[in-house]
Amino acid sequence: MAAVAVLSGEVRAEGVGKTIDETALLLPTDVRADPGECVVLRGPNGSGKTTLLRIIGGLLVPTTGTATIGGREADERDRAVRAAVAALLGAPTTYRDLTLIDHLVLIDSTWGGEPATSDDRGLALLDRLGIAHLDDRFPHELSSGQEQLFRLALTFSRPSSVVLLDEPEQRLDTTKRQVVAELIRERTSGGTTVVMACHDPDLTASLADHVVDVVPAR
Amino acid sequence: MPADARDGAEHLDVDYDDHELLGQADWVIGGEAARKARRQGLYAGYVLFLGALVYGFPIAQTVFRTSDAARLGQQLRSPVAVALLVASVLALLGAVVFAGRFRGPVVPPMPWIDLVLGAPLDRALALRRWWRYAAAGGLFVGALSGLTIGAGLAFAGVAGLVTMAATTVAGTALGVLASRLWLWSQVRSWPGPDRGLSLLWRVPDALRELHAESLRAHSANTSTLAGSALTGNLRTARLALTRPVHHGRTARLRAGRPFGVLVRRDVLGLRRTPGAFLSGLGLTALGGAIVTWAFVQPAAPSIAATIGLLPLYLGFGAWAEGLRLQADNVGVPSLLGANEVTEAAAHAVTPTALTAVVLGVWAGVAAFLGPVPASAGLSLLLVLVLVVAGNVMAAFRGSPTFSLQPQMVVAWYAMPALVVVVMGSLVAVLTKAGRYSWLAVISWVAYGLLAWAFSRVRRLTYLHRA
Repeated sequence: MAAVAVLSGEVRAEGVGKTIDETALLLPTDVRADPGECVVLRGPNGSGKTTLLRIIGGLLVPTTGTATIGGREADERDRAVRAAVAALLGAPTTYRDLTLIDHLVLIDSTWGGEPATSDDRGLALLDRLGIAHLDDRFPHELSSGQEQLFRLALTFSRPSSVVLLDEPEQRLDTTKRQVVAELIRERTSGGTTVVMACHDPDLTASLADHVVDVVPAR
Repeated sequence: MPADARDGAEHLDVDYDDHELLGQADWVIGGEAARKARRQGLYAGYVLFLGALVYGFPIAQTVFRTSDAARLGQQLRSPVAVALLVASVLALLGAVVFAGRFRGPVVPPMPWIDLVLGAPLDRALALRRWWRYAAAGGLFVGALSGLTIGAGLAFAGVAGLVTMAATTVAGTALGVLASRLWLWSQVRSWPGPDRGLSLLWRVPDALRELHAESLRAHSANTSTLAGSALTGNLRTARLALTRPVHHGRTARLRAGRPFGVLVRRDVLGLRRTPGAFLSGLGLTALGGAIVTWAFVQPAAPSIAATIGLLPLYLGFGAWAEGLRLQADNVGVPSLLGANEVTEAAAHAVTPTALTAVVLGVWAGVAAFLGPVPASAGLSLLLVLVLVVAGNVMAAFRGSPTFSLQPQMVVAWYAMPALVVVVMGSLVAVLTKAGRYSWLAVISWVAYGLLAWAFSRVRRLTYLHRA
């Protein structure tokens, strides 16, 4: 066992930009989020919101500027950063031979969750998202909306001090968007920092403590 | 040219000259290139024949070359050897049927399916060409394989010339049967009333049963396979071609400590994919039997280990879905709390334990039939280490970083298997020669290889940020 530093949910991105060859994916942008806050990234398609989230999550090295999580460089190779950041950026790879509840039990167990109550926690989360009745389905048996809810469940099932979400509202109906908003609100009131890209003005208005407008490169 | 004729007062019959229409379609779609492509098929057969002559025959000869031909002949005629031969043939035919579900022998190009098959032509005639390629290929490869093996046996003094003729005939028959089973399996991949085994000898009817949608799916699968193989991304092909999981829905993953729960995940995965479990069992049983025989029996040719190592390696791979899924997840935000090396080690536990059981059973059978030298037992352990290392290397080889040329991609794919086969063969040679100091050196190299393979896990996990 190795000791892993517990990082606070302080997110700082200062002048981070990304250029590949001659193409600018993200113009230098600042993001500042403290524990318990929700920051929404807003901007048209192609403005670089996902790139910015990937930089904050430590998955991508910025060409300019610096990104930190809890005062440490945002680098996914750092175990402390990995332990701090839960992210839904694109489709996570799921096990085709595990059911929904098995996935949640697996994640919970690898984060040291109490084995005796692991199933209950997983089922409760699925229930919150309205997909508890699908607990014994395999991922390929879900509709696109159900799949999005399952991805959110995977992301929320692991402990974290920072949650990064790329358009969590996609493929969800109005009711389900409210359910997701409620979950996000619960996480922020528990001290978690949430940074998310969002195209839904209602969701943005109800959740955002700050809004960062990401300006397209061209 | 179509000719119209009245048939009674109610409806009109139209006669088509199928051959002429197909000839025209050929010319419109392929032009002169279509004729050239057919000539290329003949050239491929010629190259295959030369290859068998230059490489196949000497290899087969080496396979059966031994210091004790009489004893080897006796062992090859034993019930165990015959059972293994039957099992191998059945496995081969099973693999052909399995492949036919995704990629049958009749796969015309998309324009042909969309533009020509839609015409009211006899489908048996419109598809005959692709079937003939496959049938001729099956017959040719079967005959050539039978001839090569028979000639190898005869020239090594293990059997007579009659055996050579018998293996050629048997190989030809097997080739014909395999190609027909392949077509039958392709027909069965689409629902319809006529799907019985009688289609094996009613080839024109089998061709008429091929649905345009099924042909389109098989053509798309071919593109997916070729594209995935050439770009070094086998995940796409795996996901496209594997059957969706439906078994064992009620079984639950039991929560627990991280390492244990990851091991249980793999066990549960195998319970839910019995096809993967059984194919792994078949391959490891076959490979394990040959490798054990090669290590334990003095009369066994050293190259037998080389032959047995490949199915052993592939069988382990069939059980190692957890390792591959971990590698698939590289570069996406972390969901699991276990670190990457711990996770890989946990995913290696189930296939390693199952392979060890299979090797242990074969070693037990060998011990029951005669004495087993301690060195052979230790060498089998070393083979297990190599197979684990090879599979970890294969799962975490990442993406090709060179320019994508077919030969380079093939070499890139084959490298882990090649390492296992070459190192394992070396272990067999040194064990039989009693060169224990060299064997000790090789064993350190094998353990080093295992450590290096696990270091690749970490390297690949963080490579995406570099």
